[in-house]
Amino acid sequence: MSRPLQDILFGAPSPRARTVTRGVSAIAAAVLLLLAAGVALRFQSAGQLDARFWAFFAWPTTWTFLAQGLLGTVASAAMAAAIALTLGLVLVLGRLARLRLVRWPSSAAIEFLRGTPTLLLIYVCFLVLPSVGIKLSTYWMLTLPISLSTAAVVAEVYRAGVLAVPRGQTDAARSLGLTEAQVFFLVVFPQALRYIVPALVAQLVIVVKDTTFGYVVTYGELMQNAKVLIANYHALVPVYLVVALLYCLVNYAISRASQRLGGPMH
Amino acid sequence: MGDIARLLADYGPAFGQALLLTWKLTVLSFVPGFLLGVVVTVLRLLPLPPLRLALTAYVEIFRNIPSVALLIFIVFALPDLDVVIDYEPSVILTLALVCSAFTADYLRSGINTIPGGHIEAALSLGMRPRHIISTVILPQALRAVVQPMTSLLIALMLSTSLASQVPFPGRELTALVSKIATDSAAGMAAFAVAAAMYVATGLLIAWAGSALEKKARILR
Repeated sequence: MSRPLQDILFGAPSPRARTVTRGVSAIAAAVLLLLAAGVALRFQSAGQLDARFWAFFAWPTTWTFLAQGLLGTVASAAMAAAIALTLGLVLVLGRLARLRLVRWPSSAAIEFLRGTPTLLLIYVCFLVLPSVGIKLSTYWMLTLPISLSTAAVVAEVYRAGVLAVPRGQTDAARSLGLTEAQVFFLVVFPQALRYIVPALVAQLVIVVKDTTFGYVVTYGELMQNAKVLIANYHALVPVYLVVALLYCLVNYAISRASQRLGGPMH
Repeated sequence: MGDIARLLADYGPAFGQALLLTWKLTVLSFVPGFLLGVVVTVLRLLPLPPLRLALTAYVEIFRNIPSVALLIFIVFALPDLDVVIDYEPSVILTLALVCSAFTADYLRSGINTIPGGHIEAALSLGMRPRHIISTVILPQALRAVVQPMTSLLIALMLSTSLASQVPFPGRELTALVSKIATDSAAGMAAFAVAAAMYVATGLLIAWAGSALEKKARILR
């Protein structure tokens, strides 16, 4: 691993430059602390540090309720991810097919689902489908749209992986007499997966973010439960802060995992 | 098809306005978000540990927070801290913050594609770090990130749909569809029209992005 670029750029400072850097560092730290103090003061003057806004975080029931919300988020995200991984495979098989009759509809479906906001799809499941007689549970009103739009993205990720597998692999497998299905599922796809695992895990972050829309359909995920807590305690700032922090932590953990998986393969 | 024709007769101008608002929100959040991202990237290069720490935290927070959660915090929680921001600026602020974090992240990986020898060469020519950043690092980094920035712009365009989550005076596409679906039975047709507009906009951005990519790409 070579040195990070900024270390080369500021690699060998003169004694004078080092003093200046240290001084500016101290000033930067002071400014940042002042900024933090300013925010704290704003909380104080707005009365948001009052005990009544924070006391309920000491109660286990609050955390049980938030944990239930997180569980709802995980349940929806996990199902959406599972469906997306499967449906994405179907879509990419369609897109890579030789038959135009299969290829074009698959490409159109991918472009359509990828190019439409998830929130719009959620509104369709929430407002439009009931009017034509299809009634989904709140869980599926949230999970189905997320699955569909994620499936399209996952299909493109699969495609990038499949195209990255050297062509000789396909040729070799065919010359051994494997059927087309065997070539894809035994030779090409397993290798493609290794290239794209980090991208797939990173996609999970987007799935978790999308489940935040659960409150739109009143499905009990973290954001929806936060709204209920707020209705009970009138503590907007603390609850939203804690929930935002929880989301950040979960997504940060997933991002880090994806970066680690992206390490050297061989 | 008859449904769509009837819908366009009733709501045609509304769809035009909604599309324009979607575009406007996209541009107004992308431009400051992008510029802020560039500034954050440059500041993160400076050898000032406290600043680097704070900016890394900034990038990680706004990259990982769900945009809706951020928007709801800005719109509904900040007034409790006596900070009142109007709905439209709130949406733009949310999207710009998220955009800046992703821009900073992409630019950083763009910077990592620059061979260290370029910096050493510039230093040995006697160039100051400030000069190297503006004439050696940034131009190469910017050219390396055209493709991810195109994807980011498309994602941002789709994210403007979250403007439908706040009581907005104007309606962008998603808010318009939700209104039509609540008022009438033309929900499906409205969805089809809005989806076509989103997809067309996305394809347009993708096309412009790949044209720019062809011009800007550095062949190594």
